[in-house]
Amino acid sequence: MADKSKIGKEYPPFTWEVEKGKIKELVQAIGDKNPIFQDREAATAAGYKDIVASPTYITVPMNWSNQLMGMIKDLQINFLKVLHGEEGYEYFGEIHPGDILTGKAKVADIQTKSGKTGEMDLIKIEINYTNQEGKPVLKANSLIVERK
Amino acid sequence: MNKDIYFEDVNIGDSIPTLVKEPVTKLQFVKYAGASGDFNPLHTDDDIGKMAGIGGVIAHGMLIMGFVGQAVTNWIPKKNLKKLNVRFAGMTKPGDTISVTGKVVDKNAENNIITCEVFAKDQNEQVKIQGSFEAKLPKKN
Repeated sequence: MADKSKIGKEYPPFTWEVEKGKIKELVQAIGDKNPIFQDREAATAAGYKDIVASPTYITVPMNWSNQLMGMIKDLQINFLKVLHGEEGYEYFGEIHPGDILTGKAKVADIQTKSGKTGEMDLIKIEINYTNQEGKPVLKANSLIVERK
Repeated sequence: MNKDIYFEDVNIGDSIPTLVKEPVTKLQFVKYAGASGDFNPLHTDDDIGKMAGIGGVIAHGMLIMGFVGQAVTNWIPKKNLKKLNVRFAGMTKPGDTISVTGKVVDKNAENNIITCEVFAKDQNEQVKIQGSFEAKLPKKN
């Protein structure tokens, strides 16, 4: 069971340097051939200052910085019972190679609900990302489901 | 890649262009694990999938969300995309062919934002993702 005393808890900021190679790896795994995610000339021709991160790129720093796993442990959630329920992004600006992102994660809510398959905890996590200029670039909202 | 799409050109009820993906493969799940950093073995190790009672590996939900992002930014320039929200509704298995469809459900003339619903479904019309996105479109004048 998720630890409800941690609703509202904010975690120490983490940083992540954006690399074009990781953007490329992700879109190649997805099979997304839009050149603005891989080719600087195509991106600038489309009005961007450089290659841009694809819509779901932010999952890369979230996973590789072990942010989510650390929170799951801290919240005493049983990883074997976890499902990814929802994911949502708000975009405030583009993310480019070379950017240094700072993410600040927060436990927005934890609720217990009873569904068809029994009780479950719904854990809402928010991560706000700013870039090296201190500008907000993205807000990620994740809903993690812990089945009982 | 994108043609300019103006707020005036988009109407409630319009469909967004459908994206039909190649069938997903186990190799793709391995690539996605490495790229995204999500190494949950449920996506790469058939034995773990069998132990979990689902017969074998399943796709990362985020891979299918990646398909949705691809469909959206094939239609709308990335810079116009303001929000993308999905609910994961079903498991995707190797060999499944995912199609992403969607339509415009709202237009707000005060801020030039359109709201669309979006779905990722397999070859049997089983829903994998139900979601929505918002895009701020330029006006013609």
